[in-house]
Amino acid sequence: MSLWNKLFGLSIASGLLLTPVPLAAQDTVLDPASSVKIDLPADSPLTLISTSMGESRATARGGAIVLDLHMALTLRNGGFKHVRGVTLLITAQEFAPGGKGSVARPSIDVPPGQNFSLPVDIRLVRPVQQTGGPLVRVQLDGVLFDDLSFYGPNKLNSQRAMTFWEVEAQRDRAYFKQALQARGENGLRQEILASLARQADRPQLDVSVSRNGRAVGAAVPATEHMAQFAFLNLPNTPVKPVEGWAAISGNEARSPRVEVINQSGKPVRYVEIGWLVKDKQGQEYAAGSVPASEPAMVLPAGHGASLLQDTALKFSRAGRPIEIESMTGFVSQVEFADGHVWVPSRQDLNASPLLRILAPSPEEQRLADIYSKKGLTALTTELSRY
Amino acid sequence: MKHPGEIDLALLAGGEVGRVRRFSLERHLRACSECGEKVTQLQALRAEVADFEPADLNWTLLAAEMRANIRLGLEAGACVRSAGIARGWNPRLTLAFASLLLIVGASFLLRDSRLQPASPVHAVTQSAAPVLESSGAGIEFRSGSGSMMLLNRPGVVASQTVSAGGEIRARYVDGDTGAVTINNVSLE
Repeated sequence: MSLWNKLFGLSIASGLLLTPVPLAAQDTVLDPASSVKIDLPADSPLTLISTSMGESRATARGGAIVLDLHMALTLRNGGFKHVRGVTLLITAQEFAPGGKGSVARPSIDVPPGQNFSLPVDIRLVRPVQQTGGPLVRVQLDGVLFDDLSFYGPNKLNSQRAMTFWEVEAQRDRAYFKQALQARGENGLRQEILASLARQADRPQLDVSVSRNGRAVGAAVPATEHMAQFAFLNLPNTPVKPVEGWAAISGNEARSPRVEVINQSGKPVRYVEIGWLVKDKQGQEYAAGSVPASEPAMVLPAGHGASLLQDTALKFSRAGRPIEIESMTGFVSQVEFADGHVWVPSRQDLNASPLLRILAPSPEEQRLADIYSKKGLTALTTELSRY
Repeated sequence: MKHPGEIDLALLAGGEVGRVRRFSLERHLRACSECGEKVTQLQALRAEVADFEPADLNWTLLAAEMRANIRLGLEAGACVRSAGIARGWNPRLTLAFASLLLIVGASFLLRDSRLQPASPVHAVTQSAAPVLESSGAGIEFRSGSGSMMLLNRPGVVASQTVSAGGEIRARYVDGDTGAVTINNVSLE
């Protein structure tokens, strides 16, 4: 660039700087073709039928751009088996590098040739910058079929998550079917009403999670102490928690670590510990879970392992911090090396405080929703479907 | 007698002024019953407000909204800073601005593109630790000045679960289809 060109550019830039910039929000309807890229593998059992962008908009506010994407993807089961679950991977690297999202639809029963839809609702914020290419990328991460076989790249370990949801769904469908058979429609109604009451009463926490990046030399809060987990030992659990700790300071829990022993006769490749916290008023909450830290873990029969995570979790409720008084752990999920998944039985849940504290399974939530919107007849029809 | 402003009196009532300012205000109050009365009223009001708790106020939503507004405000502030300068003729300000332009111009002409520093946006992105947060509205991942939030459907109550491995899930039943949707956001 010549000197005169640079001077001209400079004068234009100065002029722009001196011009007051109107800051009114400017709405732009998004163009799906340029905003979102949807990738399904060529051999995918699902085909994309249509994409609706609904009320999706881009809004400029000051120096930031806010994108509200409200998409509905219509997909067709082009395979030969019933689809039980689907997971889509969502990435927006220009907005949120270092994070990824997914949208899953478990507890479905889509026969071959049938369409179904999946909503994707995202809000993205970033400073205004010139960029090219799509803003959001949607990829298929996995499809689970009714025989528990799986298709997909599985970058998010969605096979494990969807298998777990499906095993829970089978457990809960069997429980409600059994209630119907043994105690008739009144028995089923009582069970579903109890489930709805638990869902309404269950206290829920807001949580923030960050990698445990306390700076070297940074002061440890004076209130921080190591707190030990108490454990709920469920009968028939294949893996037994032995001991565990986490650093607690006020409403923050950091770096949980739990020692477990495989007491089953089979090798295990994944364990997850459910995590309950009690506040100073004695109210108990489902805080989260501590998963196995090694993605490729193999825990032979009779051997022990440590589950540890280097993250910090902060708990609050309605905007107010929850002071952690004590913690309880229990084995919530085990995956054996042969792919079979263990979850606590309905009897285990009934005989412990877990049924009251934990969120219901997706299937129980769906069945309760059918009852509350369509009534008992619709629920019994649904239970008789499969 | 020159009276202190309302803001100073309110800050004094809340015990939020520095030592020097407090000394001068208290000296004024000793001689001025009118201002003394105002401070007493403000202190009483403050005590009353401290016990007041509005019913059904969603603190989480309020906090999320305030955070978003602060972030957007900072961005907007960076843009409008120059607009105030052009408001009126001020020879000293003009001279200072001309000097600044000269420096900017010189650095623009003499700069070496190979040594160009990262933009402020990227600098912020690198320094802020990524964080995941759940609220009634959905799950948000924030990294520097950018963010991604998977939204819950309006009007639904989502069940949230958290993994110490660095992920949050929100699950809800879609009112239209009766199907369950599970949103998940994780730290990489």
